[in-house]
Amino acid sequence: MFQSKTIQCYLKADGKPGRLKKAVDQICDYAVDAVEDGFKVLILQDRAIDSNHAPIPSLLSAAAIHHHLIRKGMRGQVGIIVEAGDVYEVHHFACLIGFGATAINPYLALSSIRNMKETGKLQTELTQDELKKNYIKAVNDGLLKVFSKMGISTLQSYQGAQIFEILGLNKDVVSKYFTGATSRIEGMGLDEIATETLAKHFFAFSKKDIPADRLPVGGVYQWKRKGEFHLFNPQTIHLLQHATKMNDYETFKKYSKLVNDQGEKACTLRSLFQFRKNRGSISIDEVESAESIFKRFATGAMSFGSISWEAHTTLAIAMNRLGGKSNTGEGGEDEKRYELMETGDSMRSSIKQVASARFGVTSLYLTEADELQIKMAQGAKPGEGGQLPGHKVDDWIGRVRHATPGVGLISPPPHHDIYSIEDLAQLIYDLKNANRKARISVKLVSKAGVGTIAAGVTKAKADVVLISGHDGGTGASPVSSIKHAGLPWELGLAETQQTLVKNKLRSRVVVQADGQLKTGKDIAIATLLGAEEWGIATAALVVEGCIMMRKCHMNTCPVGVATQDPELRNRFKGDPDHVVNFFKMITEELREIMAELGFKTVNEMVGQVGNLEMRENIEHWKYKNIDLSAVLYREPESMYQTLYCSEEQDHGLNESLDWKLLEAAKPAIENKQSINASFDVKNTDRTIGTILSNEITKKYKSEGLPDNIIHFNFNGTAGQSFGAFNTKGITLELEGDANDYFGKGLSGAKLIIYPPKNATYIPEENSIIGNVAFYGATSGEAFIRGKAGERFAVRNSGANVVVESVGDHGCEYMTGGRVVILGDTGRNFAAGMSGGIAYVYDVKGKFADNCNIEMVDLDKCDDTDKQELYNLVQKHMEYTGSTVGKFIIEDLDNQLQHFVKVFPRDYKKVLLAKVK
Amino acid sequence: MGKPTGFKEFTRELPAKQSVEERLQHYNEFAHRYSDEKLNQQAGRCMDCGVPFCHHGCPLGNVIPEFNDAVYKQDWKEAYEILNSTNNFPEFTGRICPAPCETACVLGINQPAIAIEEIEKHIIEIAFEKGFVKPHNPNLRSGKKVAVIGSGPAGLAAAAQLNYAGHTVTVFERDDAPGGLLRYGIPDFKLEKWVIDRRIKLMEEEGIVFKCLANVGVNVSINDILREYHAIVLAGGSTVPRDLPVPGRALKGIYYAMDFLKQNNKRVARKYFLSNAAIESNILPEEIKATGKNVVVIGGGDTGSDCVGTSNRHGAASVTQFELLPKPPAERNDFMPWPSYPMLLKTTSSHEEGASRQWAVATKEFIGDENGNLKAVKTVELEWKIVDGRAAQFVEVAGSEKEIPCELALLAMGFLHPQQEGLIKNLGVSLDEKGIVKATEKDYKTNISKIFTAGDMRRGQSLVVWAISEGRECARNVDEFLTNNFSVLESRDQAVQFQVS
Repeated sequence: MFQSKTIQCYLKADGKPGRLKKAVDQICDYAVDAVEDGFKVLILQDRAIDSNHAPIPSLLSAAAIHHHLIRKGMRGQVGIIVEAGDVYEVHHFACLIGFGATAINPYLALSSIRNMKETGKLQTELTQDELKKNYIKAVNDGLLKVFSKMGISTLQSYQGAQIFEILGLNKDVVSKYFTGATSRIEGMGLDEIATETLAKHFFAFSKKDIPADRLPVGGVYQWKRKGEFHLFNPQTIHLLQHATKMNDYETFKKYSKLVNDQGEKACTLRSLFQFRKNRGSISIDEVESAESIFKRFATGAMSFGSISWEAHTTLAIAMNRLGGKSNTGEGGEDEKRYELMETGDSMRSSIKQVASARFGVTSLYLTEADELQIKMAQGAKPGEGGQLPGHKVDDWIGRVRHATPGVGLISPPPHHDIYSIEDLAQLIYDLKNANRKARISVKLVSKAGVGTIAAGVTKAKADVVLISGHDGGTGASPVSSIKHAGLPWELGLAETQQTLVKNKLRSRVVVQADGQLKTGKDIAIATLLGAEEWGIATAALVVEGCIMMRKCHMNTCPVGVATQDPELRNRFKGDPDHVVNFFKMITEELREIMAELGFKTVNEMVGQVGNLEMRENIEHWKYKNIDLSAVLYREPESMYQTLYCSEEQDHGLNESLDWKLLEAAKPAIENKQSINASFDVKNTDRTIGTILSNEITKKYKSEGLPDNIIHFNFNGTAGQSFGAFNTKGITLELEGDANDYFGKGLSGAKLIIYPPKNATYIPEENSIIGNVAFYGATSGEAFIRGKAGERFAVRNSGANVVVESVGDHGCEYMTGGRVVILGDTGRNFAAGMSGGIAYVYDVKGKFADNCNIEMVDLDKCDDTDKQELYNLVQKHMEYTGSTVGKFIIEDLDNQLQHFVKVFPRDYKKVLLAKVK
Repeated sequence: MGKPTGFKEFTRELPAKQSVEERLQHYNEFAHRYSDEKLNQQAGRCMDCGVPFCHHGCPLGNVIPEFNDAVYKQDWKEAYEILNSTNNFPEFTGRICPAPCETACVLGINQPAIAIEEIEKHIIEIAFEKGFVKPHNPNLRSGKKVAVIGSGPAGLAAAAQLNYAGHTVTVFERDDAPGGLLRYGIPDFKLEKWVIDRRIKLMEEEGIVFKCLANVGVNVSINDILREYHAIVLAGGSTVPRDLPVPGRALKGIYYAMDFLKQNNKRVARKYFLSNAAIESNILPEEIKATGKNVVVIGGGDTGSDCVGTSNRHGAASVTQFELLPKPPAERNDFMPWPSYPMLLKTTSSHEEGASRQWAVATKEFIGDENGNLKAVKTVELEWKIVDGRAAQFVEVAGSEKEIPCELALLAMGFLHPQQEGLIKNLGVSLDEKGIVKATEKDYKTNISKIFTAGDMRRGQSLVVWAISEGRECARNVDEFLTNNFSVLESRDQAVQFQVS
């Protein structure tokens, strides 16, 4: 039996300095007393308040006591329960747990639910208990999401882990009460926190007595006149749309003035900056031309699927007219966009994104890129992948993504082929092989430590590093990610620039920034902080008609931007001309600032942080103590490097075995002659066949070459990414074994692997290929005589593969294709699988325990399945000489009963509908 | 919120109106109410926008998506409370507002806008029926006294708000009943006067004192007011009409619209229209009716339209309406993009009742008979030069002069500024170059200590909804003035900020 001690957490509400400090010190003393007196549970309660006593913010109470007890060596002796009124959102719970709370009673949230039920505000049949249960479940699910974003599996690991960055608290507060947490820009002290607390307190206890005394409207997730200030508001949206439609620079200036001059609202860090002139101004005619600056602009990575065909192609056409770059987003790209339009315009997106789900990442997709962007994370929702609800996945989207129409697509948080910086380097190498002309970009989010990551990425041979800020792309983010996730790009960009300069890496990589860039001033500040290229997404969407409905997830966008509803798409009124006007005007503003500051070129301007200083007259009590000197610090550069990208990365492609393959395949590529050749391989021969595929694709597009026209035999141990993104017409037959990423992104080729003919071991009992084989495969066939590692055929969307056993997490997130496993699987098979079919030969009857049946049925095989199995296994036997295969084929009538058909329920529904 | 796909399923519908024949027989309102189902559908069209432009377009900052949602859920009390939190008099704006909210409605980008004004009217009428609208007396009285001069929508709003803040408010009105233009400008067929009486009764029950037939500076001493009250709000409106000084202006049969309309409203109220002539405003020396006459209404705005409707009810032989400007377009163009308030062709219910409307026409001369009575107006057509979508300059079209038979001409060309003689001059309040009282939206303070101003008197002629908004904002500033810089009254653009000393 545990005994608990309740500690009342309040401060005297008279606004005198030092009141909060006294109060916090006092509860810390009480806590120590209580532990010394043998209590096992502390309840931190904020109920004992009245007009003269205000509650201490519960996070401060909890963290203060948590750290005080740690310092006293007593923390392990008690549990801390927080019973507070200021806890209601997922983030509140996450913070309390992250700063040490053991349990939480959000009593005000719960009684609000009761009140809403009693007064009929919640029109529902559910009882109060059920409603409360639902609330708790929602909070739990939200917490789970937060933990998973941070890569944490259990509540216990999260408790006290303090994986937050504090923005806006000063050193005294952080070191004493939030000890060890990251906080880089100083800010409020305890007295300022008290001021904020008392403002709410007096609101509640005022003698306000006017009718319809309602709670404030808030306006955090929706613009409200009396609510939180938003930079995109009715005025700025209207001015931006009108200015770009009429090509009216004067109106644009009004827009940018409203965005730039935030005054007391100060809703961006950059609003606290002003320019400082360090040299004489020059005439704007001396500044480099707008045309040469356009190529530094990109639009954001918004997928076809999240936004409509019309909205997506309008951006692409506009950027192609300008010579800038549009981005596919992670949803693949319809091949018809690679043809020029009748008008001479092009709908092709220069930047092709390669995200965790690898939707439609085929050899052609990669070949058609000027830049390949590996999305490590998204500024707006770090740790999460794209999330496309089922009602937006129509037939077209489904086809482009190689996914099942009607089935929601949640991209996995991580890339399954990247668990370390070496893995990332491998993917960069793979992509460079797939398209040697494309720059490889790596998208990172602004966070403490991003500089180190960027340095690693640069060493891993990325050509571009993108630092993405927290406030972009919020329309389609889950509510719990709109706030409190990610950081302003100002912080991440400054850190990246400083770290890259310090490590003499800056001149090897292009640095790009994005995150609610809206005006020429924003671009200028990003440039001075170290970015030579810039991405703009939301503003460009607004220009083509977005009015920030924040209904992207509902498919009901009334202006046809973020919807797939044909009726609503008809309402789209965007025009590439308007987007072009926008970029011209924003560039003009940038050029004006360049002239004012005396820069002739953007390159000259990059990283000249000395041209920025804190704004004068920052007097608001809440942020007057913010200190941005760390952002404004200039890392001294060596005389041998530039502050912008001036060298090309050496990707080491010269060593590739593919040059030999290409030579041998010449007759096939040029005249479609059949080719047979043999090569020895060793494990430093990585990414085999990828350059070859790139060359074939350049000529034959997605058609590829006739099947088997190129047949290469290999002997030995292949390195990583054997056959990656290999296209149609290629057959690679390997006698030996292979490392990880075998058949990654397979794009039509046939891969065959079997152990050396003279091997003495039993093939089906031994590993032959590594982990993450066929990740993101889109088409093709493969036959593997032996066992594969973990994460087999994750995100496969069309390849047909036969293998003799797989490790854990097989066929995760699979959306198409067939996988036949003639042996055991590891656990968590078929998690998140929404399409395709897996057949598992389950003689031991153990499979059901290893399968994650959240989304799939385990069915018996019928005659169609029998035929399908026969075809695949027959080939497997033929190509690899598999003994298991031979046994099954010869006895298929009997053995069929041992095959489990793993059939995703949604996929089944779609197939049935098609039959009807 | 609401019905996510409502805007796709239903289109805008307004409640049915009585037929023209039927409604011309009386002076009552003639719009019906929605059925419950229709009301529900219309509210369900609201899209709950991430950036609700309507809420920005409304001069009051009405929280429109929220009340639409409450209506959709048939949570009438909630709907009323939301509406009442920003608008003291939805029963007025629900009837006669030109609804800038609707022109800002996001759905209006490519579809007919939400019927916000009708929904507003339904909310408040249902609230009255269900008994939600009750007098609300402040618990604490501040002991401060405020005089509000003028009982139009600005004065009423200021009075209501200041009373809620605990001050003791007296409203001075020179007419025989409160309401200003609501009472004696807007015809009954657009706003029946029991609607005003119902509100005034509530305000009286809340503790506000109304002194009618009290013309400050005429039969009420300015000095008494200055001495007795801690603050004074001038809300007398912009009452001086624009004249038309062309030959023949002195003929009999030419009147200002407001004089004509007031007389009719008095007639409908069964009041003798010549009484209190020394105290009241806009009193004609004789009875004027349009019956059997050829009526020309000069001015194409809402007041002109009210003259059209009234003349038709009198039984005019013909009604013609002139507008100087060219005929506006029926749809938005690049020069008046969404969500700005567009100058579009507007056909009011009075126009439906019959009128010949002429655009780009100027009146050159009034022509009289031998007895000095108006018998015709001489007009000329204008040719306008359009610059940036705006009519910028005109020339008269040679040879386009015409004479139109006319025995009654009503001048409805807008209002210049407040009446300056009397109260304003005697107080010594500064005026701006347009002749309106000088005070900014920042504090609504005139140059004279403790004297504030709101509504058309400060803003120049405008809408009822702006008057209410000004009254509310002004009240907050008066409250701050009276309570040492802290007001519990919410402003349009800011939640109440509780500062710590």
